[in-house]
Amino acid sequence: MEQTLVAEAKDAPREADLAFDRLYRSSRDDVYAYVAGLLRDPTAAEEVTAAAFERAYRKRNRFDPRRGEPRAWLFGIARNAALDELRRRGRQAELTAEPADLDSFGTEEGAEHNERRLAVSAALERLQPGERELIALKFFAGLANSEIAQVLGLSESNAGTKLHRAMNKLREVCDGAE
Amino acid sequence: MEPNRDDQLIADLKALRPMPRPQFAAALDERAGAGFPRRSRLPRPNLVKLRDLSPRRMLIPAAGFAAVAIAVVTALLLSTEGQDSASRTLFSDHSERLAPPSHSSPRNFNDSGHHRAAAGAPSAASAEAVTEEMESGVMFAPEVAPREVKPGLRHRAVERSAQITLAADPKDVDDDASRVFEAVHAHNGIVMRSSTEEGRAGEAGATFDLLIPSARLDDAMAAFSEIDAVRSRHEATADITAPTVSAAELLKESRARIDSLLSQLEAAGTEEEQEAIEAELRHERRHASRLAAQLSHLHKRADYSRVSLRIETGGQESSGGGAWGIDDALHDAGHVLTVAAAVTLIALAVFGPIALIALLAWLTHRAWVRRERRRVLS
Repeated sequence: MEQTLVAEAKDAPREADLAFDRLYRSSRDDVYAYVAGLLRDPTAAEEVTAAAFERAYRKRNRFDPRRGEPRAWLFGIARNAALDELRRRGRQAELTAEPADLDSFGTEEGAEHNERRLAVSAALERLQPGERELIALKFFAGLANSEIAQVLGLSESNAGTKLHRAMNKLREVCDGAE
Repeated sequence: MEPNRDDQLIADLKALRPMPRPQFAAALDERAGAGFPRRSRLPRPNLVKLRDLSPRRMLIPAAGFAAVAIAVVTALLLSTEGQDSASRTLFSDHSERLAPPSHSSPRNFNDSGHHRAAAGAPSAASAEAVTEEMESGVMFAPEVAPREVKPGLRHRAVERSAQITLAADPKDVDDDASRVFEAVHAHNGIVMRSSTEEGRAGEAGATFDLLIPSARLDDAMAAFSEIDAVRSRHEATADITAPTVSAAELLKESRARIDSLLSQLEAAGTEEEQEAIEAELRHERRHASRLAAQLSHLHKRADYSRVSLRIETGGQESSGGGAWGIDDALHDAGHVLTVAAAVTLIALAVFGPIALIALLAWLTHRAWVRRERRRVLS
């Protein structure tokens, strides 16, 4: 679906709008999850997510399919918006995140699960921002390694290697916390 | 990494996935349906439309704007150029020159060519005399009384000369030549030499060597300019005050010497003494005659201006006569294109560096933003 965005955009503005609408509906929650994972601030994540979609909508006619997938293009815009937000606020990505809300994990989960997820959340805070971004793109936004590579401007193998290292480090931090 | 532990970690990460609030999701859906209207800024419909345009589509209005700008500047330059040619100032000194000969009568001298002299033929003898004086620099006609030039000369003696080239169609050469004679006659001038050639464009033409009273040179040049299209025009002046004053003083001294010799001759007692004084007197008279001729020649140079007039055909524009044709159109088109190219070059010279600076500034800003984004994650 995403791959037809630009071809349709060239054919007719109406089709471009429909294609963008489909891209929006399929990516809305993923973009938010990625931005929130990067910013660690739900309120800022909402602002940045809205701004990212707004920017993408304005630029929808300028998208070049030869330069990547529409979904990767959208996440590139969201990434820039998130980084700009961090710059604007003078904040660093590793700033203190809001504490994870145990209630948000669901009451049906066991206490052991809750504790483990709290540990994972805390471990995420101890990762480098770049590492945390990789994990957010992969597991929060659900991007494939090829899409991550496009968003970050890396080769696919390099993106896979970096992701593997980030996961190892996350696991080590989790193990160290236990 | 152990598969089971990795699966567990991935499951935990997915469970930690942030989800948007339903209220935010609903609000965003609403904005998406409305085409993402700007929230916190004033509406800027024109800018939004421009931003929505693809770079290729933006080229069209940009090119149109550039073309209009070039056309306007070209029109301004052409109109300015027209004013310049109409009000072309010539190199001349109108304020400091000897008074014109008030006694000059219409004179005409003809002819090394085959053209007829204009009606009302002047005194050929006097014209010839003036001509010869001016060409040889020696005057053998002492009856032309030199004017009194005092050492404390208030006016300066200025010699003027002019050249003018007219462009004409071959069939108009004869008519134009006749009008030249009429104009010379009307301004009491002298045609020293003239010739006309018939033939095709480029071959046909006419040349005139004229003497025009300096006081009426401007009027005469204006009259020549109205005969046909002016291809070129030039005027020059030369100050001859110093040689004029010098010749006048020498002449005065020579005449005083002659008077003195005449007195000595009357008082001479012997025949030998008389012969010696008469010989000296003859010598002094020849000397005075040469000085008078020299002075007269200088006066003529100040009183009359040499004008070289040419009538050319072919080559450049000859808008004065004939119908406007395809050659004129091609020439005009070439002229317009030349001016447009010049304007474009000037515009590039002006806007090129500005655009380059803007491009460098934009590239620098972009590089800085990228570096700052990387720094945020480092």
